[in-house]
Amino acid sequence: MKEYFHYFRYLFLALGVVAVLSVVLLITNQPEKAGERTNTECTTEERVFDYADVLTAEEEDQLREQIAERESQIGADIVIVTLNESLKEYARSYDPDVTYDKFTMIYADNFYDEHKFGYNKPIGDGILLLDNIYREDDGSVYTWLCTTGKVENRYSNAMIDNILDEFYVYVDTNPYRAYSDFVDNVYYDMADNGSNITLPLYIPFVWSLIVTVVFIVVNLTNRKGKKTTNQRSYVNGGQPRMRRREDTFIRKSVTSRTIETSSSSGGSGGGGHHTSSSGASHGGGGHSR
Amino acid sequence: MIFKCQNCGGNVVYSPEKGAMYCPHCEGIDSHQKMEGSSEEACPNCGAPVEIGQFVSASKCEHCGNYIVFDKRIEGMYEPNLILPFKIGKEKAKEILKKEFKKKAFTPAGFLSDAALDKMEGTYVPFWLYDYMANYTFDGEGTKVRTWRRGNTEYTETSFYHIVRDMDIDFDKIPVDASVGMDDQIMDLMEPYDYTILEKFQDKYMSGFMGEVFNEPSGKLEPRAKEKAKNDSEALLKESMSAYSSIRTHHKNLDLNKNGLSYALFPVWVYTYSYHNEKYPFYINGQTGKVVGKTPLSVQKLMGYGATVFAACFTMLTLLKMVLEVL
Repeated sequence: MKEYFHYFRYLFLALGVVAVLSVVLLITNQPEKAGERTNTECTTEERVFDYADVLTAEEEDQLREQIAERESQIGADIVIVTLNESLKEYARSYDPDVTYDKFTMIYADNFYDEHKFGYNKPIGDGILLLDNIYREDDGSVYTWLCTTGKVENRYSNAMIDNILDEFYVYVDTNPYRAYSDFVDNVYYDMADNGSNITLPLYIPFVWSLIVTVVFIVVNLTNRKGKKTTNQRSYVNGGQPRMRRREDTFIRKSVTSRTIETSSSSGGSGGGGHHTSSSGASHGGGGHSR
Repeated sequence: MIFKCQNCGGNVVYSPEKGAMYCPHCEGIDSHQKMEGSSEEACPNCGAPVEIGQFVSASKCEHCGNYIVFDKRIEGMYEPNLILPFKIGKEKAKEILKKEFKKKAFTPAGFLSDAALDKMEGTYVPFWLYDYMANYTFDGEGTKVRTWRRGNTEYTETSFYHIVRDMDIDFDKIPVDASVGMDDQIMDLMEPYDYTILEKFQDKYMSGFMGEVFNEPSGKLEPRAKEKAKNDSEALLKESMSAYSSIRTHHKNLDLNKNGLSYALFPVWVYTYSYHNEKYPFYINGQTGKVVGKTPLSVQKLMGYGATVFAACFTMLTLLKMVLEVL
């Protein structure tokens, strides 16, 4: 037993260090509670603007409560707006060339900026979901997710698509559930603070197995001994005596071949954010149904 | 014969550490006196019967612990020409073994215990040493290849040479062990011995050790020496033509002429460990300290150690994974 602990002393030491470090890191990196809201210029306490009246008064209250709790957890404003009106004229008044899918974007950005939402500062960290259930004359219903500040940084296009897809699952059949799920999803996305590394469980298992196999194989290698003599070990003087040594050049031949070379080129990709009419930077994306 | 201490009457042995005869009882140096005794049936010291094997030339009395050298087995035809005295004593040999196998994780618990190691004995192993004058002639063709690039073209130039070699190789004391009990392969791995301190045979060097006479005559074992000489000659010829990338032989001839033979005793420490009814012998070159032997495997230990490594790695990696995911 003594021999066992002696043999593995460094391994156990490493294990202890890793365990202690992990515990310390895990404790110090607990998803921290966001600080107090520092935006004093916000023009409203309201977060649920149900202009389309898809929610009952009771549901709105529940949603407000849920939003208030989540906001303090993630340190970002969460705003929900429902509309039931054409935004065509409104949007075109800002930008005559705007396409149907961007009507809601303009409204959402302006709504956010006008109310000076933002957890940390006016037009700061926050997210706004606008669902306009009015069917525009192109035949579609448009939704926009407006992100600002750290939320904008956090949300990639894929994440926006994802959260809107989930929102669309219940938006028509159970609007309250759709909005409630949305608020929770925002929390999960923001709490999972971006490192986004999720390793499959089998990786530690497979690597441990590999290390163990290597350890066993290395320790099993059991050679009787290496040969330590060579062809000169028993030669007097260590070298043969050359009586004759001739290396006479006879002829040579030369052959040649052509080497083929190849070249390659790469591609490029892109993506981006935009600036609203008031000059604030927003991220976001829309869906239609 | 037995070497007695003139001061205290104890059994004087050859001490490799001191390079002299040493009395372990009174710590006297070179205080020995040879006590001849020709009997091969009884211990010259205590008279107890001794049983000696067919080829044993030196042994230890089981009764009184005195080291006996059997006169008749180092006389006449059995008198060795040369001897390499032990350079490494028992304590040093133990240390070497411990160091060599310290890192072997899966050896059984008692493998290198002092109790087991104390049973280790030093033995003088009989060797025939063959001298050869070899002549190797070679005639053939070799090629050298050179490649280079110019622009998009690669050129390959092959040059052909006529090669002639005629060399004398003076082989000195190619050793072949003359003990049937010692595995040939293992004895080959014990080599090389340092011949510069090879001495004319003296019986005092045998006191304190086991010993054997040659088990087989030199003629019977000569093919092994010739084989070694041939292989070495071949390697030396090849070496002299290493500049060529390919060689074609037209003609070659090797002449081996034996021009010397000696009978010598070389020092080997033997440690035999028994595990699960199997014997695991270890050999240590008594002059150079080289170790040859295969360690026993404890399956129980392999499982336990393997499981430990796995569990520790798995725990560490899982923790790392958790930390990575949170940070």
